[in-house]
Amino acid sequence: MESQIELEHEQLKGVANAIVVRFVGDLDATNVEFVLEKVCNFINEGHIHIIADFKKLRYVNSTGLGVLLHFNKSAREKGGSFKIANVNENVYEIIEIIGATSLLEIYDELDEAIESLK
Amino acid sequence: MGSTTIDFVSAQNGSGATVVRVCGELAVDTIPKISETFDTILDKHLPFVVVDMMGVSLFSSSVLGHLMGYREKLVSKDGDLVLAGLSLEIKSELNLLGANRVFKIYNDVQSAINSYRWDREHISQSLSLSFPSELRFVPAVRQLASRVARQKNYGSRDSFRIETIVDEVCNNAVEHGKSGRGKDVALNLTIDREKIELQVVNETDPDKVAVLKELSTSILKAPEKPGSAVGTDRKRGRGLALIKMLSNDLRIDFSEEGTSVHVTRRRGE
Repeated sequence: MESQIELEHEQLKGVANAIVVRFVGDLDATNVEFVLEKVCNFINEGHIHIIADFKKLRYVNSTGLGVLLHFNKSAREKGGSFKIANVNENVYEIIEIIGATSLLEIYDELDEAIESLK
Repeated sequence: MGSTTIDFVSAQNGSGATVVRVCGELAVDTIPKISETFDTILDKHLPFVVVDMMGVSLFSSSVLGHLMGYREKLVSKDGDLVLAGLSLEIKSELNLLGANRVFKIYNDVQSAINSYRWDREHISQSLSLSFPSELRFVPAVRQLASRVARQKNYGSRDSFRIETIVDEVCNNAVEHGKSGRGKDVALNLTIDREKIELQVVNETDPDKVAVLKELSTSILKAPEKPGSAVGTDRKRGRGLALIKMLSNDLRIDFSEEGTSVHVTRRRGE
């Protein structure tokens, strides 16, 4: 009965060590370990620039937001970045209430996030 | 052309709703009869009308337009005209015409009347359930709460917030409560047209009570502005801070029997 989440990723052409990770589903306490392991693996494998595409992320809770902050910190510690794009208004409100909009790099569109890496 | 009947059925069960039962083909030539029926309804100041279309085999766009006109008149008098009992074929046709964005459509007359009474008479409805104190059960519970809100015509933003509140309260109950046989989390949700009230009760680990009291007190006393209640570098208490920001009222009672969290969330705020 865990929430469904899928992470689809692809290398970003023209930018070294960068990938786009598409979050599909709900991010909550039941699947946060899976997401944590997968994204940390990306970072540890050298993909230190991560763009998280939230176009199909329907839901996030405080636990999920906690791992997003962790990815941001981990990527930066390795000289990289963690950027988020296409956030729906409900998810954005949760990020805003927690006070994380000033910590996370959030872009309206995926193209804008990609452009910021060039 | 088959025969068409339009029967005026007066208010049912003291609900204040008026039912117009239509059978046959609603073609252009039925417009005078429809006008006569609805003019009578307007003259009698009957505000809420359910058109029972269970027996309708054809629904012309001209008649649809005509009903839209009467709906507007009733809405301007703080009433409504809704449709019930449509066949799948007619419902599909109405969807294609965009009529489902104008009319509220119900499966049957009783559902329409129940919805009207709930909306107008400030009736509240409650849902009680319990689930094993394990995280994997929480998504289904929070999604159920969201669906209840949507079914009661709460907007998508409100429903999402309610889903978040239920999720965070239940996650806290599981995380800080006792688990195992007989250690269920109990949830009671009461909804009316203006607010949702939530109560979640669980048995708390006695060793954690003092820490939880201290944490909840600090968060409940913190100023109410985004981010201020918790600090983004702190892991503990984010969920509670989120509940506080999304709620109109939040109370937490600790006792030997367990922890009880009460949340009130008003619609549309």
